[in-house]
Amino acid sequence: MSAMRVDAKVVMLGKESVGKTSLVERYVHHRFLVGPYQNTIGAAFVAKPIQVGEKVITLGIWDTAGSERYEAMSRIYYRGARAAVVCYDLTDSSSFQRAKFWVKELQNCEEHCKIYLCGTKSDMIEGDRSLRQIDYHDAQDFAEEIGAQYFETSSKTGKNVDELFQKVAEDYNSSAFQFMTEETGVDLGQKKDSYFYSCCHNN
Amino acid sequence: MDGETGKATASWESGLLAPVDRLRLDRADSPTPGLVEGTEPGAGQKSAIFYHAQSYEDLTAEAEKEAQRASEPHGSEGHDGEEFSTLVGKKSTEERLNSDTSSESRGKEEDVSSEAWRSHKKHVFVLSEAGKPIYTRYGTEEALSSTMGVMMALVSFVEAEKNIIRSIHADGCKVVFLTKSPLVLVGVSKTGQSEKELLRELQYIYYQIVSLLTLTQLNHIFQHKQNYDLRRLLAGSEYLTDNLLRRLERDPGLLLSAVTCLPLASSARDVVSSSLQAAKAKNLVFSILLAGDRLVTLVRKKDQFLHHIDLHLVFNLVGSSSSFREGEGWTPICLPKFNTAGFFHAHISYLEPASELCLILVSTDREDFFNMSECKQRFMERLSKRSAYQAMKEALKCPNYSVAQVGIPELRHFLYKSKSSGLYTSPEFPEVYQSDEEQERLMGLYQDLHSCLHHPTRPLRSFYRCSEAENLLAWVTSGFELYLCFSPMSTKALAVSAVNKLLKWIRKEEDRLFILSPLTY
Ligand SMILES: Nc1nc2c(ncn2[C@@H]2O[C@H](COP(=O)(O)OP(=O)(O)OP(=O)(O)O)[C@@H](O)[C@H]2O)c(=O)[nH]1
Ligand SMILES: [Mg+2]
Repeated sequence: MSAMRVDAKVVMLGKESVGKTSLVERYVHHRFLVGPYQNTIGAAFVAKPIQVGEKVITLGIWDTAGSERYEAMSRIYYRGARAAVVCYDLTDSSSFQRAKFWVKELQNCEEHCKIYLCGTKSDMIEGDRSLRQIDYHDAQDFAEEIGAQYFETSSKTGKNVDELFQKVAEDYNSSAFQFMTEETGVDLGQKKDSYFYSCCHNN
Repeated sequence: MDGETGKATASWESGLLAPVDRLRLDRADSPTPGLVEGTEPGAGQKSAIFYHAQSYEDLTAEAEKEAQRASEPHGSEGHDGEEFSTLVGKKSTEERLNSDTSSESRGKEEDVSSEAWRSHKKHVFVLSEAGKPIYTRYGTEEALSSTMGVMMALVSFVEAEKNIIRSIHADGCKVVFLTKSPLVLVGVSKTGQSEKELLRELQYIYYQIVSLLTLTQLNHIFQHKQNYDLRRLLAGSEYLTDNLLRRLERDPGLLLSAVTCLPLASSARDVVSSSLQAAKAKNLVFSILLAGDRLVTLVRKKDQFLHHIDLHLVFNLVGSSSSFREGEGWTPICLPKFNTAGFFHAHISYLEPASELCLILVSTDREDFFNMSECKQRFMERLSKRSAYQAMKEALKCPNYSVAQVGIPELRHFLYKSKSSGLYTSPEFPEVYQSDEEQERLMGLYQDLHSCLHHPTRPLRSFYRCSEAENLLAWVTSGFELYLCFSPMSTKALAVSAVNKLLKWIRKEEDRLFILSPLTY
């Protein structure tokens, strides 16, 4: 439950119906829900422990709603985030434009947040290649340009989903490790847990 | 008696949030239970659990004022009326032509030029004052833009003449207009419901939209851009409105302006309430525990009341969406009866993954997620140590009761609302009303009775009605509202004597059926 301490805040961003909730659902509950699409209202939070090497890191994942209605609220979800998974639907070019919007927003407001660009629903283009609307290399280039990791995932088959979150956790772990070694000389005894980023009660 | 009612209404009108506290003497010993407000079965002990109007008057109060204004003898009223009907006649042919041309653009949904589309019992449209479509219950807004245009033309035509268009009757159809700047809502109904009833439903839809955006934001948007396409902001919320419309047809709570409770031993409920009360936080205003569509308990900040309309909007939000099943939800929500200007922030989560028990913690602070999450945790810890949790889960297994328990053989079904608590109780539908159509038909009958009891100029105190399939009795006092459905074999005398027996039964069961001791923090 959420009472467990959260180490890294991760935010899912992207246009509505690109598959953010499905991605979290696949990663956290190992399932893909079929049936009518239920858009997220506001945002949903879930804490998920993940093994990285010897350590267990708890990701606090914010699955935000893609609807423009909540755009004004979005800051509270990405503020202080260590990682943002910016999603777009591989079969919908407008969602790629929206992804670019989120990238800009993050670059402007949240410079310490690592960006993971994620093209979703890859099972669909595997079924029918003509459905792809964003060229793999274009997306890859864009990711490079913004210094992001690029993934193509399918929540339906599970392809690349664990890899995505594993990477998020590993990146967090190595950056947290650096952060900790910097801190060590200064104040080790007193602030034992200070390298844990807490997304609770910031401010 | 009447003085009391008057006072409570007055306190509403003057905009006070706290209802007038009433003396509740002798509640248990009252010889004729509940003839006086505050002593009826189901009346709470101290103060009301949430803000509730005496009835649905508050929803139509404004509309009624308009109606009165309109009916005042003023120049060319009647004449305009005639003009409308000719106008409607002309326009409706135009509509048909237009919808034919637009039929190519029909979406995945329904063909708006089809018989099926036209044969729906009730259509609801929402448009902006500039005539832009915002919502339609059936079909797509695009396909209907010409129809909406016609509606807007009607509205502006009449407004230019300084009349407010209220309704048009034609072809067994009622067309009702509600202008709530910057929105215009139109209902087209073949249900035989009164105008007042239809207006009330449109009001609900209006509040539904406001609850997603706030009125301040709505006004702001349209002040800046009259032509704004509001569907952009409402995208993905249509199903909330769809669902609300369905509830308006089926949920007695929306008809009665009341809420029903999960039947639960008062000892268990009190423990649940006090556990919630203990899990408080600075900005927490309301803690609501729901079991499906039933209230388990509601704890509120002192002096803050939740209006039943707002509560129903919360019910609708939670009940319509499975999205809160994943983790913990955190969403802005405007409670328009509380304040149309701002958002509250609701922490919404189920107590257990597959459970029906859903906890809603309403805070004033958008940064409060983790505080609310902690409140939930504290509540869960307290609760799980106590047997009340088990009792609640047991109660969930039979969230309803059978009318047979009352012991009146001819009685098939009833709705009983305690006016002072704003809570109602009703048994499950009996065998004869198992199908959806039958249940809706019965709800329709209740609606008719309700209209008679709440007629704007000639309200009735009681009403008995016989028909082939059932006999119905409705009775309203200052303390309660009661609707009973009997088998067609019963008699009026029998029905009248059943009332007393039923009231005694409800009194006996009130601890279980109602929330008698609501708490505050
Ligand atoms: N084939 C396929 N469909 C998917 C995949 N991921 C999501 N979908 C479908 O896409 C639709 C939207 O998925 P969601 O996960 O609810 O989308 P979302 O991004 O959370 O949407 P919002 O909450 O409105 O922002 C659903 O109908 C899913 O079934 C996928 O990997 N493959
Ligand atoms: Mg979602």
